Amino acid sequence: MKRFLETGNFAITEGAILAGCRFFSGYPITPATELAEAMSLRLPQVGGFYLQAEDECAAMHMCIGASLGGMKAMTATSGPGFILYADPYGWALGCETPLVVLNSGRVGPVSGITGAPGQGEFYLMRYPTQGGNFETICLAPSTAQECMAMTVEAFYLSERFRMPVSVLADQLITDGFEDISVPENDDEMKEMGLRVWPRKVCQGPEFYPYTDELDIPPVVLGHNTGGICSDWTPTVEGYDIEEVEAHHKHAYRLIYKVRNNRHLFNHLYEKKFMDDDPDLVVVSYGTPSRVVNTAVIKAREKGLKVGSLRLINLWPFPDEHFTRKTKYLSVELNWDGELVREVQRATPKDSEVHFLGTCGDLPTTPDLIEAFENLLKNEPLSRKGWVLEEW
Amino acid sequence: MEYRSSRITSKYLRSRKIPSTACSGCGLGMNHKIVVQAVDELGLEVADIVWGTSIGCAGRQTFATWKGDGFAGTHGRAYAIARGLRIALPPEKKIILTVGDGDAFGIGLMHLIHAARSNADMTVIVNDNLGYQSTGGQYGWTTPQGSHTDSSPYGMFEHNLMSEGMDVLEILKGAGATFLARHVAMDGARAVETVKRGILNRGFSLIHMPYPCPTNFGSRELGSRNQVNIYRWIEEQAAPLGQEKENTVWATGIWHDASNSRPEFHEMVHDTVEKIRRTGTL
Amino acid sequence: MKERIEIVASGFGGQGVVRLGQIIGETGVKQGLRVTMLKSHGTEMRGGYVRSQVVLSKDVIDSPMCENPDYFVALSRAAYERFKDTVPEYGTILYDPAFVDKIDEGLKCTHKAFPAKELAVEHFNNPLFSNTLVLGAMSRIVDILDKDAVLESILEIIPKFHDRNRQAFQIGYDYVN
Repeated sequence: MKRFLETGNFAITEGAILAGCRFFSGYPITPATELAEAMSLRLPQVGGFYLQAEDECAAMHMCIGASLGGMKAMTATSGPGFILYADPYGWALGCETPLVVLNSGRVGPVSGITGAPGQGEFYLMRYPTQGGNFETICLAPSTAQECMAMTVEAFYLSERFRMPVSVLADQLITDGFEDISVPENDDEMKEMGLRVWPRKVCQGPEFYPYTDELDIPPVVLGHNTGGICSDWTPTVEGYDIEEVEAHHKHAYRLIYKVRNNRHLFNHLYEKKFMDDDPDLVVVSYGTPSRVVNTAVIKAREKGLKVGSLRLINLWPFPDEHFTRKTKYLSVELNWDGELVREVQRATPKDSEVHFLGTCGDLPTTPDLIEAFENLLKNEPLSRKGWVLEEW
Repeated sequence: MEYRSSRITSKYLRSRKIPSTACSGCGLGMNHKIVVQAVDELGLEVADIVWGTSIGCAGRQTFATWKGDGFAGTHGRAYAIARGLRIALPPEKKIILTVGDGDAFGIGLMHLIHAARSNADMTVIVNDNLGYQSTGGQYGWTTPQGSHTDSSPYGMFEHNLMSEGMDVLEILKGAGATFLARHVAMDGARAVETVKRGILNRGFSLIHMPYPCPTNFGSRELGSRNQVNIYRWIEEQAAPLGQEKENTVWATGIWHDASNSRPEFHEMVHDTVEKIRRTGTL
Repeated sequence: MKERIEIVASGFGGQGVVRLGQIIGETGVKQGLRVTMLKSHGTEMRGGYVRSQVVLSKDVIDSPMCENPDYFVALSRAAYERFKDTVPEYGTILYDPAFVDKIDEGLKCTHKAFPAKELAVEHFNNPLFSNTLVLGAMSRIVDILDKDAVLESILEIIPKFHDRNRQAFQIGYDYVN
C-alpha cells in the first residue's frame, strides 16, 4: 500500500486505472479539469488513452465508442457539462453499454460559482436523459479514499449490469487534499474491498434478451459476433422495432435488471448512532455528511438522541432505510431541497421531514447542533437564510 | 453498373432487412449498393468492417443491413462514437458510416469536423436527400435555395452549404480530411471506383452522395411523386468535375485526394502512447 | 495527542499558503496520521485571501473544516481579521507583523509574533523564504509535528534551493521557543 497526500481527482484516476479503465475522454471544466489532467498524465503510463473532446457530448460518445470496441472507459465533468451527457447517456442506457460517468458538483444553475461545492444534481443523476423507462445507478463518495473505492465499484457494477454507472462527487472532495492509500497488488485490493469485473463479449445471437438477469456480457463490436446496437427499441437480436410489446419487454429489462439486483450495491451506506431508534435521523450524502457526522457525535455528547444516515448508493433510492416513523432532517448543499423530497416520499405517512440547505459552503457544526436541538424541541429551524419549510 | 445482386446480397447483407422499408422510388438503395459493391470489389469480408449509421432516412434504412457488426448512433454523434471505436478496434478493421445530410452537415457537423481533424480512419458516406425527409420534408443545409419544403413554404431563402459558391467539402478539407468526393446516386460504376479509393485511404474519407427522394422532396418541390422527375432533376444538375455546366450543382468525382498524407489517428495515438509507456516521455 | 488538530493558514495569493498547507499535510502522511487539506480562495486568486485548512488526526477525519483552529497562521491583515475570532482560548495565532500590524487584545488565545518576511529578507534577501521560516517555527510550536518529517516534506515538495530552505527552516525553528 502506498500513501499519498493527494486530491480526490488523483484518487479517482488511480481507482479507474485499478479497475482496468484504459480510455478517458473529457472536456475541461472546473472542478473536473484536474481529473482530466491526471488522466492525461497517468493513462499513457499504463498504455491507456486520454482524448480531449470538442464538447462533453462528444466526450461521452467517444467513451461509448471505446466501450463498444471492448475497452473500459470513463468520462468526467461538472454540472454544466453533465447536461451535455443527456444524449449519450440515453444511448448507453438503451444499448446497455458499460461506462463510468463522474460528476463533480459545483454551484448552479448554469455556470453559477465554479470553485465551490454544490449538490444540485441529485435528480439529474436519476434522470440524466429523456424518455424514462430505465433505472440508473449512482454512487456518492464523501472522502478522497472513497472516491477511489467508488470509482472501482462503479466500473464493477457497470460491467455486471452492462450500463453506465455514475459517481456523484463535489468540488470539496475532488479538489481537496487528503491522505489516500493506493493498493499495489491484488491482495491489497481485496483487503480494501475493491472488486473488479473483466470485460466480456456477448456472443449473441440474443444481444438484448428481455430478462432481468445480471452478467450478460455487453455487445462488443469487431469480434464478428454480428452484434448490433442502436438508439431504437431493440428486438432480442438487436434489430430496431416499433412495437409496444417489444418496447415493454425492453423497458422491463432496463428497469428490473437494476431493481431486482440491488443486493449488489445496497450495502453502500453508513449509519452512525442508528441502533437505538434515534429521535432525529439526519440524512445526507457527499461532503456535508462529514460535518453531519462530526455534529452528531457532538450532539450525542450533549445527550441528544440523534443519528446519521449517510447515503452512498443514491439511486435507485434505498427506501429500506426509511421504514421507521420518526423525525428526519435532510442536510444538502442546495437551497431548493432535492434529497428531502425523496426522503419525504420514502418515509412512513405523517413522518416529520425537515430540510436544511446551504450552498457553496458546508454547514457548520454549531449550526447543525442548533438545528438538532430546535427540531427535538419541536421548534422551527432558526438560522436566517435557510429554507424552513416543512415538507 | 453491373450489380450481381443475389451473390453480393447474400454475402454481405442480412436477409431480414431485404426489402428495405424505404419509400417506393427512394434512391437510397442505389447509394447503398454502390458502397456494398465497392466493398466486394476490394475483396473485403464481413468480418473486416464495422458498419455505423445514424438518424434519419439514410441511417435508419441502412441500420443492421450489414451482416457483420454494426451500430446506429444518436443524431449527429456517430462520428464521435466512431472516433472512440477507432481507438479501441484493431487498425485493420474498417469503419464505414452511412449517414444523412442532416446528421452530417447539421447536428453532427462539429463532430464530423473533429473526425476529419483527427484523420480517424473511417469512410463516411453522406446520403444527401436534400433535407429532413424522414420527418416529412423540412429544408436542410444542402437544400437548394428557393426549394419549397414543409418548413420553407415560400421557398428556402437562407444561405446554405451548397450554393453561392459554397461547398460543404471545403469545410472538411480545411479541417484536415484526407479524401473527399461527390457522386450522385446514378453514377454507378464511377461511384464504386471512388468509394473504393475512399475505403483504401488510411484516414478520414467522406463521399457526399445526393440521391433522389420522390416522396417528400420531389412531391413538394417538383410537384409530383413521380420518381422520373426527381431522378432527371438531379441528373441534370450533376456533371463530372471539369465538365460542369452553368446549372451544375453537384460536380462529381474525386474532389480532394490527400490519401495517406497525414498520420492516421489510431496509428498516431497508439504509437505515441506506446512511446510514453516505454520511455515515460515523448 | 488531542484527537484532532486543526491548522489554518491564510494570507493573500502568491504567498504560498496552499503549499504551506500541503507541506504540513504531507508531514502528517509521513507520520502515519490521517490528513485532510482544503484550499479555498476569496474572490480572486491574487489579492483576495487564500486559505488552507489542515486537519491532522490519528482516526478517521469526518469534517475537514477547521471551525476552531488550534493553530492559525495569519499572513495578511485581511486573513487575520477574517479568521481570528474562530481561534478558541486554547488556540495559537502565529502572525507576521509585516502584514498584521495590530492584534486584537481582546482575544483569549495566544498570539505569537513571527517576523517571517523580515527574517527572509535579512538572511536571504528574498521574501520567498518566509514560508520555510514559518514551517520551521510551526515544527517547534505544533507538538504533533515531527521536525525531521517537516523538513523532509519541504525538500520533497519544493524541488529547488534545498540548501537555503534547510537554513531557513532551522532559523525559523530556533527563533521561536
